[in-house]
Amino acid sequence: MSTRIVVDPITRIEGHLRIEADIENGKIKDAFSSGTMVRLLEEILKGRDPKDAWAFVGRVCGVCTSIHSLTSVRTVEDALDITIPPNAELVRNLMFCSLYMHDHVVHFYHLHAMDWVDVVAALKADPKKTSELAQSISKWPKSSPGYFSDIQERIKKFVASGQLGIFANGYWGHPAYKLPAEVNLIGLAHYLEALEWQKEIVKVQAIFGGKNPHPNFLVGGMACSISLDDVSGINAERLAYVGQLLQDGKEFIEQVYIPDLMAIASFYKDWGAIGGGLGNYLVYGDLPTNGYRDQSSYKFPAGAILNKDISKVYDVDLRKEEEVQEFITNSWYDYKDGKKKGLHPWKGESKVNYTGPKPPFANLDTSKEYSYIKTPRWKGNAMEVGPLARVLVGYARGREDFKAVVDKALIDLNVPVAALFSTLGRTAARGLECMLVSQWAQEFYDQLIANIKNGDTRMAEMSKFDPATWPKTALGVGHAEAPRGALAHWINIEDTKIANYQLVVPTTWNASPRDGNGKLSAYEAALIDTPVADEKQPLEILRTIHSFDPCMACSVHIYDEDGKHISRISVVGD
Amino acid sequence: MTPEKRILILGIGNYLMGDEGVGVHVANRLQQQRLPPGVDVVDGGTGGFHLLGYFEGYETVILVDATLDDNPLGTIRLIRPRFAQDFPKAMSTHDIGLKDMVSALQLLDKMPVIHLFVVSIESLQQQGIDLTAPIEKAMPLLMVKIFDLVNKLQKETKETNMLTVV
Repeated sequence: MSTRIVVDPITRIEGHLRIEADIENGKIKDAFSSGTMVRLLEEILKGRDPKDAWAFVGRVCGVCTSIHSLTSVRTVEDALDITIPPNAELVRNLMFCSLYMHDHVVHFYHLHAMDWVDVVAALKADPKKTSELAQSISKWPKSSPGYFSDIQERIKKFVASGQLGIFANGYWGHPAYKLPAEVNLIGLAHYLEALEWQKEIVKVQAIFGGKNPHPNFLVGGMACSISLDDVSGINAERLAYVGQLLQDGKEFIEQVYIPDLMAIASFYKDWGAIGGGLGNYLVYGDLPTNGYRDQSSYKFPAGAILNKDISKVYDVDLRKEEEVQEFITNSWYDYKDGKKKGLHPWKGESKVNYTGPKPPFANLDTSKEYSYIKTPRWKGNAMEVGPLARVLVGYARGREDFKAVVDKALIDLNVPVAALFSTLGRTAARGLECMLVSQWAQEFYDQLIANIKNGDTRMAEMSKFDPATWPKTALGVGHAEAPRGALAHWINIEDTKIANYQLVVPTTWNASPRDGNGKLSAYEAALIDTPVADEKQPLEILRTIHSFDPCMACSVHIYDEDGKHISRISVVGD
Repeated sequence: MTPEKRILILGIGNYLMGDEGVGVHVANRLQQQRLPPGVDVVDGGTGGFHLLGYFEGYETVILVDATLDDNPLGTIRLIRPRFAQDFPKAMSTHDIGLKDMVSALQLLDKMPVIHLFVVSIESLQQQGIDLTAPIEKAMPLLMVKIFDLVNKLQKETKETNMLTVV
């Protein structure tokens, strides 16, 4: 007899996510992932000027706001055959890099770390031993015994004030926490440092995008003017500031994030065999260095891997009708031609038909439709998207930069390549690609400065800005690698207006319900066989789901089988 | 301390989700108006930790947000949250991001004085960029209340400064 437990993170940023899991003999036997909130951005966009779409899609989510806007301008540029100037590409890349640096660090420390780091245990650590340990794994200067004892005092004071705040809802003392007290204290100290750090790196978005959150984009290029001696625009002084922010960011990632990640991972190697799931990975590719249309120039190469077989990488074509299709067998939608057939997004439909229980409810009826998320498939296959997919495709394509960081991590942890296909692999891949991105950002920055010094200040291609120059109808697709994975928008333009606009976001790939053939999607598949030591404190579920970085700042509410609230964990994902 | 940059009005919400975006509508409208010196307005959108820097840069922050509570639609309340748990339940899109950010500010010992205007809305499931009629109707009063609070805070500041001079 299995017990069903429900994990229902409350968020409205990218839709609520709810997990129902059946547990038998201490392991997850079946799992259901449900998006319980409808998003009908498609309806808001219909009839609007395609050039404005970026501003609306940028609002879909406060987390990866600029990546949706980036995807949108690429989509419209694809439809209208616009090629942007090199500087615009570099500025977009720099914004992309700063987003990754921010997002991955914040995910690690503020969403995910507390799944592995026991805050209460950190208070028992010996500051002197902690200092020795910290200095042995990194040259980061803030590592004295006094520094760590100050942190302890601060947290003790915070806890004593009765204001647990962020730390109020953890499963502290859970037997699945395995770190020595000193590693816990390092994790906690850097949780605080990362909080301070993250507000700096986001300034890159504001400098190039005019504001943050929700920075400005422009079809045809970027809306910022760059000139070394311009007083009001982006001048030498502001560019130097960007350079400093990127340099500081890279140092933090290399000297704090990566050493912490490796230190923590070394105590959780068993998680290198848990949470792997599908073994199918999909990457659209990003960070062009010779124009978005030249896919071979991407820093993140595109491709698909099936059945964990990294000896073969398949090419991906988002225009082909038979490649990406969305199914609604288990989703609260109707298609004109019935529920069985999948639709390519250019023919996509978004007509909602909610047939689930009336809230509040204890359980979803998972024998029929149970999610607002559609089920996308690539050539019929369920695919995982995100950092692990990107790192595996880069590795499988034989790219030296990927091979260097992955092989080093495997040697340092003394684990086989197979350990990558796991919860631990996903979390490690995020850190490794974050380090690569912070290094690539230096190249983009140097190139931008060189272009400007050579007198090239072009930032936008505006010859097709006037809709009078457009064809009567046009189809476009634009893609990006959002921090959480492959993202694409598809547009149909008719008479200069948006006739249809469809988004397939990373969390749709990962969090979707099973398809008509009963094939699970990534979250559901990854949870199968995950051990759960204590049904009332399912820390293990959080570890695996958080390893995907669900696109949401979420508070996780946990109910027992009667739907009674038994505990709550609050997690921040930003 | 620069006396000019003292008060930040930060409107938050999801602009795509009807009344949920009331804070963003307030920020947009305030940006069209002439504001007293020393007052800045930011459209915080659905930004969570992204907004931390803004909170640190001001001594006083006036937040404007939507809330789901049992009050009649369009009810405007002003609260002075000092801790994360003082925030009303089910606050709009970023309920958790915002509360955790407040906890983070506390943890970093950088908490500004926060005044929070909440507007009671009916549903978080609306789609669209327009406010419903009852919320639209509450907007003029909300703007007046914000300006009243700004004036009161600035007057207090002036008095404090004079005392300091004496």
